[in-house]
Formats: sequence, structure tokens, C-alpha cells
Amino acid sequence: MTGRRVLAMAVTAAVAAGCLVACGGDDSAGSDAKAELQIWVRKPPGSNTEKTDQQLAAAFTAKTGVPTKVTALFDDFETKLQQAAAQKRLPDIVINDTDRLGGLVKQGLVREVDRQSIAGQADLTPASWSAATGADGKIYGVPFSAQSFALFLRKDWREKLGLPVPKSWADLDALAKAFTTGDPDGNGKADTYGYVVPASTKRGYTSWYFASFLFSAGGDFLTGTTGKLTPAIDSPQALAATTEFQKQFCTDKSVVPGSVTAETTQAHPLFETGKGGIYLTGPYNMARFDKNLGKEKYEVVALPPGPGGTSVSLAEGENVYLMAGSANPEGQNRFATYAVSPEGQTLGMAGDTDGNVVRLPVNSKVDMAAVRKDTRWQLFAGIYQNGARYVPVVPDWTPFRQSSADTLNALVADCSQDPKAALAELAKTFSDELTKQGAKG
Amino acid sequence: MTTTLAAPPDRVRAAPAARRRKLSTNTSAWLWLAPALILFALFKFVPMARAISMSFQEVRPYLGDRWVGLDNYRTVLGDEAFRAAAGHTVVLALGETLGSIVVGLALALLLEGTARHLWFVRTVVFLPTVTAMAVVAALWRILYYPAPDGALNSVLGWIGLGPGQYLDSPHTSLWSVMAVGIWRGAPYDMMIFIAGLAGVDRTLYEAAAADGAGPLRRLWHVAFPAMRAVFGIVLTLAAIRGLRVFTEIFLLTNGGPNGSTEVVMTLVYKLGLERNELGVASAGSMLLLVATVGLTLLAQLLRRRS
Repeated sequence: MTGRRVLAMAVTAAVAAGCLVACGGDDSAGSDAKAELQIWVRKPPGSNTEKTDQQLAAAFTAKTGVPTKVTALFDDFETKLQQAAAQKRLPDIVINDTDRLGGLVKQGLVREVDRQSIAGQADLTPASWSAATGADGKIYGVPFSAQSFALFLRKDWREKLGLPVPKSWADLDALAKAFTTGDPDGNGKADTYGYVVPASTKRGYTSWYFASFLFSAGGDFLTGTTGKLTPAIDSPQALAATTEFQKQFCTDKSVVPGSVTAETTQAHPLFETGKGGIYLTGPYNMARFDKNLGKEKYEVVALPPGPGGTSVSLAEGENVYLMAGSANPEGQNRFATYAVSPEGQTLGMAGDTDGNVVRLPVNSKVDMAAVRKDTRWQLFAGIYQNGARYVPVVPDWTPFRQSSADTLNALVADCSQDPKAALAELAKTFSDELTKQGAKG
Repeated sequence: MTTTLAAPPDRVRAAPAARRRKLSTNTSAWLWLAPALILFALFKFVPMARAISMSFQEVRPYLGDRWVGLDNYRTVLGDEAFRAAAGHTVVLALGETLGSIVVGLALALLLEGTARHLWFVRTVVFLPTVTAMAVVAALWRILYYPAPDGALNSVLGWIGLGPGQYLDSPHTSLWSVMAVGIWRGAPYDMMIFIAGLAGVDRTLYEAAAADGAGPLRRLWHVAFPAMRAVFGIVLTLAAIRGLRVFTEIFLLTNGGPNGSTEVVMTLVYKLGLERNELGVASAGSMLLLVATVGLTLLAQLLRRRS
């Protein structure tokens, strides 16, 4: 009996010890210039854009000898980054939206970039550098890609109804109403609509969509200089844009049903399957829509001037963020240098294919027309150069985008809400947030 | 009379041996439990302790956390959005709990028995519970499509009603999400009820029938009292499930429109992972944990009393 008990004890001890060994982590990390760079990109796994990122990293490795590993994540990218941060196991490089900079800086997840350490930095456009600059004037990323937004219109529908390309917001609304009531697809059913709008609050999509309309109406989210900002979202111009936005949903009813809970992944199919005929979106969708809808069925035009008299697109893009705690800071700099070089940018543009990760190049030495034969890209480049506007520089833009998305979503979901009162309330929220972030004028 | 406190000599000798045996058995049991305990500690207790500590701090992983005391709790409790989300959570938990129980019980009564074909029907009815929530959400978004040619609206159109806005109207979104929750949760409750019904002594039914009780009276006076414990389990599980609702909201509406379906879990998610307020989000999570534990204890107490 005793012998059996001893044996049982020995077995259980062995199992427990085995588990302890198996459960134990390895916290050791290299600290040399040849340590592998973990690169996270916000791209759908398996997509052509991920393949381009893989090629970019492979070309970098071939050139420098620094090993790399690319991980593509799309859904809940920020969540996964937060989880990695909580474990203090951040990747070395993250390529993500420019407007994520503030949040990353606030939490100390990115390190400051010495601009002089990036070879060829003077060739990058000043606007792109400003999108990598924090509220404290320091640089926390290296610009990688830029983009502007334009209207995608169902050309075949417009021509069937005999309407011109819209030159004003009134023209645009008339087109949207005609798409809704005029049976542009000719199937005899009232199953088509004007606008496709990703009006969900997720990631602040409503605010993201609305920004170009706000700027074109002569309005803005905030006014003043960095560090001395005040809310501008309750201005008459902002009210005009907001009233117009609400009208499309509530009075004209020219927006595709289901939009108030739709995010971009749900909105794209609404355009390409013929539910809606007007979609303000980025150039990255052209390859997708060419394939799924047909290049000949739609046209890309700049947003018509709003009440402000101008057409101003939201400017966005992506930065290469050099994450904190890396074992290979020199490798981080070398990767960023390569990614923004003419060679890296050309590779990232991926010609006219849907694998483009560089939408518009940030390196002025790159001739986009030599890489892309599709002239529609020139339209987006022109819109970007003609005063496309980034969101205001604050320590963390996320709360502003989220609260404005919440307000706008409420206005279009509940048509009884008064835009003026809602914007006044939003301005107060902005004011409180500016105070909290120490950026109020 | 004299009494002695001294144990008999053989028992004195036996006591240390018994203690050794007990100790050895205990050690062996603990060692066998060790793998599970280590996993629990790593993935449950340590994160829970960390969440408690985070709820008192401004969390900045690479800059160092700042102690803020009860500020995070004040922020959460003072936030109108949190109070609204708590209200929605309670409504949703109550609705989904009661709805799932009523529908689950009805299904159980319909599908209880030993006939062979029932096995197939029960499996089909149980499918929503085991289907991935992402698939369920995509399916229901299609069913709920708010245009006149949407699936549900087409049916309503046949009887001259609609079109309903379902998820897209702040007035109907919470009920629409609740219906999905009930649709998915009822089969789960059904399986537990079927197990409970199978345990009821058949002779009691026969005795009641002999006394002239009809089907409803047999149900009320025989089946339900015998299933009291089952009701307790179902109620507790459904209530906890209702309080912690997240996935269906996240996938169907993300809390919208106009915050009408925002619940505590989605708000905590947004605060923590979209707005980077990990400390405030942890405080919200702690409040939800307290509510869940309180509810569970209350259910246990009521069960014991009954």
C-alpha cells in the first residue's frame, strides 16, 4: 500500500512539475540590431494588401539582413494592441491610421522619432509630417501613406435618369432622391437608394464620414491653434452640415436602410450590390468595386462645394509607429527609412492592383503616374493637394471622434432630435475633453 | 464512577498514522488539482486581481500607472451613459431571462418524450445555441433589414403591416436584440427543462390523472413543484447570461442607434479598448462583477429557502 502511495505521489508530482514547466513563459528578449522585427499591419488576413506588406518586409530584410515577421490583423486591431500593451509585449512596428497617434502617445506605447535619423526625411511632404506630430510638437511616427476621399457615383444610374454630375449639394441631394424614387436599375421595384453611409458609432465611423461634409460647409470640429483650442462644432457652418446630414436620413429618406448601424464592412457591399448609388469613400475601394461592380458602372468625382463654397476632403493616412520597448530600435529606424523611401513607397503602391498599402505616396520624389496608369488616382492626389484637412491636433483625438459619432448617430436615428441643441451639447463635451487633455484655449 | 480521558493505547498509536494517511491523501488531491488551479490562477484569478487594482489607477502600461483612488468609480457612476447602459442591461437581462424560460419551457413540453424522431427535432431546435454568434448576427441583420423588401418586413407586408425599423430605430432596437437573445437562449433552457421533466416520477402523473387532474393541473401541481431546483438553475444561469450580454449587441448594433442598446459590457469595452480608459473600464467591470455575484447569492438564498 505504502509503495503504491509513494508511486501515486511521484506521478502527481511529475504531472504538476511538467505543467509548471509547460506553463512557464520565456520573458527573455534579445537586444541586438539583428533581432527580428515584429510588424503589425491593420489589414485583413489573407488579403492582397497583407501580401504587399509581406513583400515590403521581405524586400527590407533582403536589403538590410534584419529579419521581420508581419502579422495582419483587421477586426478589433486596437483591442489586440491594448492586450499586447497590457502584457508589455508590443510589436516593434505598427502601421496604422494617423489619427491613432494621440492615443498611442497618451499611453506611452510609441517612442519619439528623431526625424534626422530617418534618411531621406526631407523628401516627405510637410503635411504628412504634421500628421505624425503630437500635440506637444514632437514626432511620434513616420508618415507612410496619405489619402483623401471622393464620391463614388453609379454612372449607369445617373445616365439612365438623365441627370448631370452634381455641382452642388442641392444637385447631389436631387441625384440621391432620383436614385431612391426613379428606379434607376429598371427592375420595377423601389429597392434602390441614394446615399450609402457607414453611420455606426463603431470606431467613430459616423464622424469619419461626416468630416468632409463638415469641412466643405466651412465648419470644423475645433478652432484655434494646437494647445489653445475651442469647440467649433456648434458654429452656424457646422449646423448647416449637420442639418443637411439629418435631412438625408429623415426628410429625403434617400439613405440606404440599415445605415445607422452599418460600419464600413457592411456599407461597401451596399454600393457594390446596387442598393445605394452614392458613396463617399477612399481610393482603396476602387480595385474592389471594379471587380465586384464593374469599372464602367461607376465614376469617381470630388465632393461638390458645400455652403462654405469649397470642397474640402478629410485627409487621412497611415504612419509607421515605432513601438516602445523594442529590442531593436535601430532596426525600427531602418524599417521606417525603407518604408518611406522611393523604393518602399513604390512597392507599397502595388501599381493599379487592390494590394495597395500606400494609397498616395508621401515621398515627393515618387512619381505616382509612373507607377499607376489608372488616372482616377490623380483625382485623389489632386483632392489631397488642394487642401484636404487632417483632424485637429490634440493629445488624443479618439474621444472627440467617438463623441461626435455618438451625437451624429443619435440625430439620424431619432429624427425628432434638434441638431442645434445636440451640437451645443457636443460642444460642451468637446470643451470638457479639451480641458481634460490640457489643450483648451 | 471514574472516567478517563486517556484514549486506549491502540488508538493512540493509530492517530498519527491516520493523520499521515489523511495528509498524504490531501497532498495527492491537491497535486492532481494543481494543473487546473495553476491555469485558473493564470487566466482567472491573476487577471481579476489585476482588474481590481486597475480600477483604482489611471493605467499607462509604458509610462507607469497612477493611483487615483475611487475616481474611476466616481467617473463611472456619475456617467449618464453608464447609468443608461445599466438600465438597458437590467431590461435586457430580465426580458431575455423570462423570454428564454417561457419559450424554453414551452419547447421542452412539446419535445419531451422518448420517441425516436424527437431526438432529431430537439437537435434542430438546439442549433441556434451552438451556432457561432457572428453567423447568428449576420443572419438576423438580413432578417431585420429595415426596407419594405426585407425578409421580416415582406412577411409583415402580406398582412398590411410594416415596414418595421427593428435594429435601426432607437425605439425598437432593444426589443429586437432581446428577441435574438431569446431565440438563441431558449433552446439551452429547453435542454435543462427536458432533463428536469425526465426526472419527474411518472407514477405521480398517473396518480394525479386518476384523481381527475387534467394536463394543465398535472403540470402545475406535479411537474413544476418537482422541477423547482431546475427552475433555480435555469433562472440563475439565464440571469447571469443576461447581465453579461455582449456579443450580440456588439455584432448587431454596437450599442446604437443613439445608444439605445448600449449595455454595461459594450460600454466597458468601448471605454477600455476604444477610448483607452482602462482604469475607468475596470471600475465598470468591477461593478458588474459585484452585481453578478450579488444576483447569484440572492438566487442561491431563495433556492435554499424554498
